[in-house]
Amino acid sequence: MSEHDKVRELLALAAADALTSAEEKQVSEHVRSCIACSNELGAWRPIANELRRLPTPQPSSWLVRATLARAEAKLTEQADHDWNNRVMIFVLSFAWLMTIASWPAFHFLSGRFGSLLGLQFTSTWISFAAFTALGWLAGGVAAVMLAIRVRGERRLA
Amino acid sequence: MVGTTALSLEGLVAVDADVVRLRRGDLNALSELITRYQNRLYRYLLRMVRQPAEAEDLFQQTWLRVVEKIRSFDASRNFDAWLFTLARNLALDHLRRIRPESLDEPLADSLASETLADRIPRKDETPLDHALAAERRTEIIEAMAALPMTYREVLTLRFEEEMKIEEIAQLTAVPVSTAKSRLQRSLKQLRNALEARHPGGTWQ
Repeated sequence: MSEHDKVRELLALAAADALTSAEEKQVSEHVRSCIACSNELGAWRPIANELRRLPTPQPSSWLVRATLARAEAKLTEQADHDWNNRVMIFVLSFAWLMTIASWPAFHFLSGRFGSLLGLQFTSTWISFAAFTALGWLAGGVAAVMLAIRVRGERRLA
Repeated sequence: MVGTTALSLEGLVAVDADVVRLRRGDLNALSELITRYQNRLYRYLLRMVRQPAEAEDLFQQTWLRVVEKIRSFDASRNFDAWLFTLARNLALDHLRRIRPESLDEPLADSLASETLADRIPRKDETPLDHALAAERRTEIIEAMAALPMTYREVLTLRFEEEMKIEEIAQLTAVPVSTAKSRLQRSLKQLRNALEARHPGGTWQ
């Protein structure tokens, strides 16, 4: 491909200011001595200039308001969701802490007062495990019921 | 583009203060960002999908996606590029779903709307000049609307968004050479379309 042909291929991009500095130099040097390419570049310029001056279509104020309202609702919903997550983490941590802390208390009470009351806790740990499992099961059922209710409320809203 | 920026100490990169505030859940920051980007984003979407109703829907979806993903956005990165990438992905998904067979099919029946300011002649223009300029713009918009989607996109990004070729390549996820050749081909096709309207003469 001759220099002339190479430069001619670059003229559209030259009008679009999309050449590298080396290409720009190549084009400007060639165009100075080539009337055909100079004219061709002149034909590209008005197209590029008009493209830069195209009217900007604007969204309606209704659209902007509606978008803002929907996006704000989403943001608020996310904030609520985050808050619920934080509360859940706190409650779970607290529940585990209580579970662990209750073991020595349970052991102490079952040993000291169990004998006074005539109760036989030969397998204290089994009783404790059953008690813990029951507590967690009740908590889980409550959490599921609460989640179903919240989901239903969101669907209605 | 006017926007509030602050300097990130870690990377010495200009960080958009509104973006940082939005990441913290600030509703005012969201309003500021929508106001700031509304025209550019809507114009880009309209050039992509050509139908105002579809562009409006995508405009809303884009901002909902922004709210959804803003926490995963690195505030030291370019928010413009991120926003347009989200919009582009939504527009492409929409086009694939609604008109999968015609992603690149020319469609000439929808034009960008003119603003009132565009109808007022500039001081240095005679009414005739203004009428001719308006006609040229209409021709360009019509010819552009008939181009394939990838060509319309590269034209709007280069000439309306004034993005560099490297930025266009990054946004459209193609090599720089591809973005460049796409721009070149889109200009050639646009010129052919314009000159076809004036047989025997060039478009000026």
